[in-house]
Amino acid sequence: MATIQVKRRDGLSLAEKLYIPEVMRGMVVTTRQLVKNVFGHQDIATRQYPEVKKAYPERFRGRHRLTWRDDGSVRCVACMLCSTACPANCIHIVAGDRGDEKIEKYPVSFEIDLLVCVYCGMCVEACPCDAIRMDTGTHPMPSFSRDKQRIRKVQLLEEGLPSTARQGGLGT
Amino acid sequence: MPTLKIDGQEITVERGTTILQAAEQLGVQIPTFCYHPGLSIAANCRMCLVDTNKAPKPLPACHAQVMDGMEVWTDSEKVKRTRKAVLEFILLNHPVDCPICDQAGECVLQDHYFKYSAQPSRLFHRKRHKAKAKVLGPNVILDAERCILCTRCVRFCDEIAKSSQLTIVNRGEKSEITTFPGKLLDNPYAANTVDICPVGALTSRDFRFRTRVWMLSSERSVCPECARGCTIRVDTFENVPRRYKPVHNPKVNDWWMCDAGRASFRDYLGDRMEGPTIVAADGRRTAVSTAKAVEDAARAIQAAGGHHKVAVIASPWLTNEDAYLLARLLTGALADARVYMGGRAAGAGDDVLIQADKNPNRRGVDAIFAALGVTAQPLASFAGAGVETVVVFGDNHDAAESVLDAIKAVPRRVVAGTRMSPWWQLATTFLPLRLHWEKDGSYTNFEGVVQRLRRAVRAASTCKSEGWYAMKLAQSFGDALAFDTPQDIFAAVASAVPEFAGLGWSALGDHGLRFGEGAAPAAGPSADAQMEASP
Ligand code: SF4
Ligand code: SF4
Ligand code: SF4
Ligand code: SF4
Ligand code: FES
Repeated sequence: MATIQVKRRDGLSLAEKLYIPEVMRGMVVTTRQLVKNVFGHQDIATRQYPEVKKAYPERFRGRHRLTWRDDGSVRCVACMLCSTACPANCIHIVAGDRGDEKIEKYPVSFEIDLLVCVYCGMCVEACPCDAIRMDTGTHPMPSFSRDKQRIRKVQLLEEGLPSTARQGGLGT
Repeated sequence: MPTLKIDGQEITVERGTTILQAAEQLGVQIPTFCYHPGLSIAANCRMCLVDTNKAPKPLPACHAQVMDGMEVWTDSEKVKRTRKAVLEFILLNHPVDCPICDQAGECVLQDHYFKYSAQPSRLFHRKRHKAKAKVLGPNVILDAERCILCTRCVRFCDEIAKSSQLTIVNRGEKSEITTFPGKLLDNPYAANTVDICPVGALTSRDFRFRTRVWMLSSERSVCPECARGCTIRVDTFENVPRRYKPVHNPKVNDWWMCDAGRASFRDYLGDRMEGPTIVAADGRRTAVSTAKAVEDAARAIQAAGGHHKVAVIASPWLTNEDAYLLARLLTGALADARVYMGGRAAGAGDDVLIQADKNPNRRGVDAIFAALGVTAQPLASFAGAGVETVVVFGDNHDAAESVLDAIKAVPRRVVAGTRMSPWWQLATTFLPLRLHWEKDGSYTNFEGVVQRLRRAVRAASTCKSEGWYAMKLAQSFGDALAFDTPQDIFAAVASAVPEFAGLGWSALGDHGLRFGEGAAPAAGPSADAQMEASP
């Protein structure tokens, strides 16, 4: 059997009933906060966004980027493991022949629909080439059209950075 | 007959049976690379080594024949160690570029590695490099680094295609598959080497980099490009066919199909015409509903002033079911119409698979028409005199200019077709049709083997089969012709046509049934099991 605790309000005290003292008390709190905000910035609980941005934890999963090889070409080999792993089905890759002796395949087009993406990071986990990362630390930006949220290879590479991981593995 | 024990299970088999075949009968799996049931035995990969009590060292199960009193162990510690060692050798210089390898996902080496080895490479030296992306012929490209030198491709060219175009040159780790000097791998069956190559050494130039294989859905069907009717798998991705693969069928094509048939799927991908249309006298096209278009076609037939002024062009591309419904129309409401048989012109054939008759179901359509009493003239004899309305079923008709002109001169032209073609252009009423991979039905090949066509692709809802239109026309002329499913139609065919007697829809199974095989039970494993087992 559960016990129900009943608490009763005892009604308002005389000071509360008079109304004015309570208003004054509130004004004191407000004024104290105002003075603190104007003369001492340090303790402000809110942030001056967008001038001041929050530092995200290192492993924050932000917008995607594609990494480059040393020669500046895209590291992605269009193996489609990311698009296979993606639970939201939002990665669309068209593969092509690079005409290179060793690494023949590359993505002719690489698109991620950020409106569909759930930022799970599965694509990064799946990639065998360290070609896709979510370490830009940036959010998807608002835009006026849905199409702008489909980011393409060019944008993904603009944000990109060289990867030093060895492609092809040891003993090549 | 020798009796032996495999992993403790006793079995008695014919003299001359190999250990592998005996194990297969028991359902014991032995991993292989170079063994292919359709080729001679080379026993060079050593993946199938098993332990026996008859020899001090492990024996290759694909080659060693059984002996009386033999005991075989396929799963002992020794065998496991042997397999690991064999795989380590095979993988020693293997590039393991699975991410860019088209075979990944259907690679026997990948599968065996994960199942029987799963150990990291111990090689500290640089791997030996060989030719990559070397074009061997119009359909096949070689990555010599991935090759495990099993010689399946060499044996295929020698034994099945009968054109010795491939060989291995050099020795040891420098060994490499190549074509003979000045030769290309261009025999009409060359792309089968891609299917039987257990790894990604030989890949298809057509399919290369287009779709990862694990994204494909498959359905068993029949290649329509010649009267052989090879059993195939239509592999689709996003409702679009991406490739054909032959499927093992001992009654028709064994494990193979020709390159022309394999490449033919592209001919049907573009220029689909999926909307029923009516063309006015001034050439203006109006899109209409299916019901309206059928009504219009019926009106065109009635306007001929007597059914003897109506010409119907049938096709050896009709499925058995479509042919039956059309035959019912042509013996019922349109009994007086003149009937012509279109189809593709004969081409070259050979004594491997390819037939000269480039139509998939001539035997079936002929049998059904004959049994129901429809006589068809060849389309070439179409003169057009006295014809007021022509109804064309299908657009796979090769016709001379003069015939096309004669048809064009007919005032009302109802055409049921699939795509942009001369036939579409001359239509005054156009009825959109389904393609062969959008149909459930059956074809009869030149040897009388009736095989199932299974729907691999969803068609637009406006596309119907020839038989459906024939049925609707018959109904609009007051005939009581009503069927719901291809099963029902097939049952009607089986009871009306002597050649089909006793054949049942579900009994057709995976390998089909030959005319007269009616009473025999369906043989062979299920479609799915077969697909997985197809090497
Ligand atoms: S983060 Fe997740 S949902 Fe977004 S693209 Fe990667 S796998 Fe897909
Ligand atoms: S980003 Fe990585 S996983 Fe995705 S296709 Fe490219 S290489 Fe493959
Ligand atoms: S042949 Fe098999 S193991 Fe070798 S790279 Fe291709 S998929 Fe990987
Ligand atoms: S190319 Fe393929 S089929 Fe031919 S020997 Fe090499 S691995 Fe075997
Ligand atoms: S399968 Fe037996 S040696 Fe290759």
